[in-house]
Amino acid sequence: MELALFIVCAAVAILFALVVVTHPDPVRSVLALVVTFFALAILYVQLAAPLIAALQIIVYAGAILVLFLFVIMLLNAGPEKDTGDRSRLRTIISLLTAAGLGGMIAARAWLNQSTGIEGADNPSSLAAEGSVHAVARVLFDRYLFAFELVSIVLLAALVGALVLTKKEPA
Amino acid sequence: MTTFDLTIGAIKAAIIVGVLQGCVPILVWVERRGSALIQDRLGPNRVGPFGLLQPMADALKFIFKEDIIPSSADKFLYVLAPVMTLLPALTTFCVIPWGPGIDVTFRGVAHHVSFQVADVDIGVLVILALVATGVYGIVVAGWSSNNKYSMMGGLRSSAQIISYELAMGLAIIGVILPVASLRLPAVVEYQRHHLWFVFTQPVGFLTFLIAGFAETNRLPFDMPEADSELVAGYHTEYSSMKFALFFMAEYANMVTSSALAVTLYFGGWSVPFVEASGIPGAILGIGAFAFKVAFFLWLFVWVRWTLPRYRYDQLMRLGWKVLVPLAALNLLWSSTATLMGWI
Repeated sequence: MELALFIVCAAVAILFALVVVTHPDPVRSVLALVVTFFALAILYVQLAAPLIAALQIIVYAGAILVLFLFVIMLLNAGPEKDTGDRSRLRTIISLLTAAGLGGMIAARAWLNQSTGIEGADNPSSLAAEGSVHAVARVLFDRYLFAFELVSIVLLAALVGALVLTKKEPA
Repeated sequence: MTTFDLTIGAIKAAIIVGVLQGCVPILVWVERRGSALIQDRLGPNRVGPFGLLQPMADALKFIFKEDIIPSSADKFLYVLAPVMTLLPALTTFCVIPWGPGIDVTFRGVAHHVSFQVADVDIGVLVILALVATGVYGIVVAGWSSNNKYSMMGGLRSSAQIISYELAMGLAIIGVILPVASLRLPAVVEYQRHHLWFVFTQPVGFLTFLIAGFAETNRLPFDMPEADSELVAGYHTEYSSMKFALFFMAEYANMVTSSALAVTLYFGGWSVPFVEASGIPGAILGIGAFAFKVAFFLWLFVWVRWTLPRYRYDQLMRLGWKVLVPLAALNLLWSSTATLMGWI
């Protein structure tokens, strides 16, 4: 049952990710990405990381992609036209990137160090690591300083973005 | 997970979907009669006693209306959009507990049957996630109709829901802090032994309630379909059952928002000073929950026919400049009180 769910979700994720890349209509690309994110969220739940699954939906599907859709609709972007650009350099770079990413994933799987957490083969200890309490413990205890630093950096970026969008006073 | 658990889960899911959809005709009747009451007129009173069968007549009319798809619409997304609106509306309820649960013995094995479809560790986050995805249906409906009014409605909706989600989330954190759990049954359990959060965090409750009105696109915040400016907003081009699906989603969202407000701030299914267990406790719990939710549903109707619609810029100003600071203030109070052990 769990294996079947994994296969279905993985297949849906890959299939819709392909649609995202290949579909000429930007609105459908975004909607396909939403489906991919939902499939990924189910996979996260299967990996005993429910918090990551919820955050995936709230942050990516719920906020970022809505903004994508908002911008696409605001600009009224139509289907992408085939520019006939078949340059060799572009193909080579794409293939190299794909090969590098695939190689990294394959090496990871081959070395069988998927999580780096001790006792990762034990489902109960995995569940303990992925719970909200455990994540909060790590985030607000062990890595508190780094966490607070990141929030300050984010705040600075936020203020910076606001300043950049403000019009110069005439 | 045993076959027993699966069966019970399926039954509970069926009950939730059935009750939510069953609420829609009742709410339509309450809305029409309630608006008539508020505006000092009679309202529908010809079909059945007190016009009670009017929703049936409405549904019949919807079914027999011509189903029009505009020739310049994006047909696939146009048909998909009402489904995308209704689906999150019906599923959000799955993490809300609606009763204390009972112990049953089935074939010699004792089981505890909780009155909640899914008691997950991330209950509150599931609600926020599903509410957030509810916007897609509206945006896609507005886009695929290929109509300027629909498009404006969709754009407004996405901006509005993202803005008010922030205030809503911040207000909910105020409740989560003292409970120290994201599970909604834990929130109810906490309020059984302490004051209800509406008394200890009135500002948070007010923020949550206003954000709830905005998230369900109800007046005074129904900007996505503001009929004085946008004809009917995102569903201008929809007719027949497709329009009815949008309608059902709005009412289902109302029920879920009310249930969430009751669970977070009004003690959920608990009745103060009354302790009961077993079957009487379950009946009392479900009854109390239904009563509290009914009050909030009436509040939704009451507010809709009492307050005029906000202007769009006023809506955005209220969301960002009033509600978010208020929610942050409430968070400050909640965390201080939790730390000092006041609530």
